[in-house]
Amino acid sequence: MAEKIKLYDATKCIGCRACQLACKQWNDLPAHQTKNTGSYQNPADLQPNTWLLMRFQERETNTGEVEWLFHHNACMHCTDAACVNVCPTNALFHTKYGTVALDQSKCTGCKECVAACPFNIPRFDPKTNKVSKCDMCFSRLERGMEPACVKACPTGALQFGDKNKMLRVIKERFLALGSKGHLYGDKFLGGTHVLYILPEKPDVYEAIPANPKLPEPLVVWKDLLKPLSLLVPGIALVGAFLHYLIKGPKNTISKEEGGV
Amino acid sequence: MIPQKGMVKVSTAFERIVHWYLAITCFLLIITGLGMMFQPLHFLAQPFGGLKGMKTAHNYFGVAFIPALFITALLWWKDAGVFDFPSDLEWFKKAGGYLWHVDDVPETYKFNPGQKLFFLTVVIFGILMIFSGFVMWFPKGYSKEMVRWMFSLHILGLIAILTFVIVHIYLGTVGVPGSAGAILTGYVPKSWCLKMCPKWLRQKEKEGKLEYYYESH
Repeated sequence: MAEKIKLYDATKCIGCRACQLACKQWNDLPAHQTKNTGSYQNPADLQPNTWLLMRFQERETNTGEVEWLFHHNACMHCTDAACVNVCPTNALFHTKYGTVALDQSKCTGCKECVAACPFNIPRFDPKTNKVSKCDMCFSRLERGMEPACVKACPTGALQFGDKNKMLRVIKERFLALGSKGHLYGDKFLGGTHVLYILPEKPDVYEAIPANPKLPEPLVVWKDLLKPLSLLVPGIALVGAFLHYLIKGPKNTISKEEGGV
Repeated sequence: MIPQKGMVKVSTAFERIVHWYLAITCFLLIITGLGMMFQPLHFLAQPFGGLKGMKTAHNYFGVAFIPALFITALLWWKDAGVFDFPSDLEWFKKAGGYLWHVDDVPETYKFNPGQKLFFLTVVIFGILMIFSGFVMWFPKGYSKEMVRWMFSLHILGLIAILTFVIVHIYLGTVGVPGSAGAILTGYVPKSWCLKMCPKWLRQKEKEGKLEYYYESH
């Protein structure tokens, strides 16, 4: 099965939030009462019941004007996914499309993925004691459909398809945009299965990490300490056995000392 | 294991109960922890009704571990938490006579420096396990970087404690015959005591406080 890519072209996006709503509808995630935080963004952050959020950011340009930046924010579906790497129960897994799905029935609520994700995506729900996140509408992909957010997008800012096809779409788009566009997602974590075309450099956006990577503590833990946790006690076990065979037990019962 | 006449008492019932309280909580934590971390050990989750149940059990075994560690630290701090220099350093240089032939291993009081090192490892890493465990359990309010390092610290603690536990069990059973009585009946052969804790034995004898098996039964 060919790898799939979801392309978010911010240069075509009008910030209508149809994708956010479609996500809630398809995945049956009713909204709760939220607070006005002085931003168009609502809710203020991703939630256990909000897997996709349109982020709105205001910034002052060099000429003193106010600029409104917005972007689609959901799971990036990494090839080298930190969450899949740490998940102890395989609740998080790579699908045949290259995307990262979640089997909640296997989730133990250990929250290791919440700590590991370089994009700060998974959310823990204390009520269900489980984690949730965007699964690129795995149930829809399995039936040959595109994700709900893509289906709902009125401007074509969201597109979905085979990797090769989407890379061609991106190439053509860049011919039109020239140096005005910035591609985000292809160069880190083995390439993500969500790619962004942004009108600004990625580091301008508060919620887009400029250089996401597998966190160092995770690499230390998984690649070094985890194997050592079997190796070192294993050496102690073999060492104890060899000690018994070679040096022998300590002589603690000697009659000349009057012992019993 | 029935104590014989002439054996000497080296531990109180309270000490033995605390030892097993700590040992059992520690054992359950290691089993459930390894069972979660390594997929081939996932079958260990069956008695807990699955991995989610085992994860919950691990958390509460950890809670039960806290008083065990606390009482252990208070109970043995004086005898096992403080090194005597320079004799303990000398003991380490000779590996206590456990690895190669040594004629004059420095005599020890109640616990030898190896046991002290195990005690301190359990206490220090035990505290770190409790702290990192709670951060992992309730990560809200801590920075992401901090929570990530706590996962690494938790497994580092496992390596330190599990390695020492294996050595401890070996030396407490077949490696040093006669030792197990100290944590079962409380009585060990006097000859064992002469080898393992000679200074302590002489002091107790001098004070007239050494308890023999036949005297108390």
